[in-house]
Amino acid sequence: MDTKTKLKTILVEELNLEDVSPEEIADDEILFGEGLELDSLDAVELVVLVQKHFGVEIKDMEEGRPALQTITTLADFIDNKGAA
Amino acid sequence: MAQANDPTRGRWTSRSIGSRFQHQIFYWLIRWGGRQAAYLLLFPVVGWYVLFRRDVRARSYPYLRRRFPELKGWRLGWGAFKLSLALGKSLVDRAVVGILGPDAMKPKVVGREALLALAEENKGLILMVAHVGCWQGAMSALGFLKRPVSMLMQREAGDVDRHYFEHAGVECPYKIIDPRGFLGGTIEMLDVLKRGEILSVMGDRLLGEDKNGSDVQFLGGSVRMPFSAYKLAATTGAPIAVLLSYKTGPASYSLELFETIRVPRKRGKTDFASDVQQFANALERFCQQHPWQFFNFYDMWAPISEAPVDDNKE
Repeated sequence: MDTKTKLKTILVEELNLEDVSPEEIADDEILFGEGLELDSLDAVELVVLVQKHFGVEIKDMEEGRPALQTITTLADFIDNKGAA
Repeated sequence: MAQANDPTRGRWTSRSIGSRFQHQIFYWLIRWGGRQAAYLLLFPVVGWYVLFRRDVRARSYPYLRRRFPELKGWRLGWGAFKLSLALGKSLVDRAVVGILGPDAMKPKVVGREALLALAEENKGLILMVAHVGCWQGAMSALGFLKRPVSMLMQREAGDVDRHYFEHAGVECPYKIIDPRGFLGGTIEMLDVLKRGEILSVMGDRLLGEDKNGSDVQFLGGSVRMPFSAYKLAATTGAPIAVLLSYKTGPASYSLELFETIRVPRKRGKTDFASDVQQFANALERFCQQHPWQFFNFYDMWAPISEAPVDDNKE
């Protein structure tokens, strides 16, 4: 399973997203505010989930802001960090 | 004195009633005659505001009516004066710490060993404070924890109140996290706790665009208090120390550990009402013990859909 697909599955299953399946989430879906409409508390959970499932830590805002935009940006961040 | 409207609609503000010039007079008086000189000027200033500014006076009433339901008529007005004067003294004390140095105020930490033990768990520590006593000045007593402190703090562009370190002209000893920042500053707060450091948050008001509030019982009515910090505690395992300050003498304050809250791991958007209620209970105990040191000058109990700001009935 590629990073984007795994991310979508985690989002739906662990953040309890209702009325949406992993397949329905687009790669460029905005994560917060609009799109998936996640909020700041979901962000806390998401940061922890990323660390738990991918072993990648989002350490600060410098890293977090660009990474936590869309599925693609977050998946790229995870892949880059994982490869580093 | 800070103005405050209903935060549930994001309308409260930290902006001061007085002008920059008026604040400067107090700062000058502190330099010239010390705390007592500034206190002396407080009486006519607070008296003028309470007598002639109905809107200012009325901001005290929601709390006073809950805490002292027997107060009516002029006694309610006198209560507004007393409460506003106490806030004025708290702001003077904060300025005194900055202008004359930390030795000008003697903060005593009650529960020091317990606080140290919480910090040494190395899961991060959330200090949950409230708008009581001299919360700003008393924070200067936390050096013994020997860990960096970050504070969630919202300041308005027109706010002329200075924090104690601004008077001293030194660099802010805390890292300030703005709740209006990206994702309400939650990623920054999480990072602070993951590093085992200290995060200080206000537990009694919703800040910025934060809509994460739980309805809890406080002084006989329902109020909405923020629960984001409890989510952070649940995620990281950090304990929450409810730390409230109160004035104990002309130049002394106590900073007391009123409660330790342990939030079990919860996933998703689980309601944190029982945890927030624990904080509200501690705050209510504070109000019973120190009734004239509670400084939320807005109607915390107003239903969200109503506009409670100018409730002028005496």
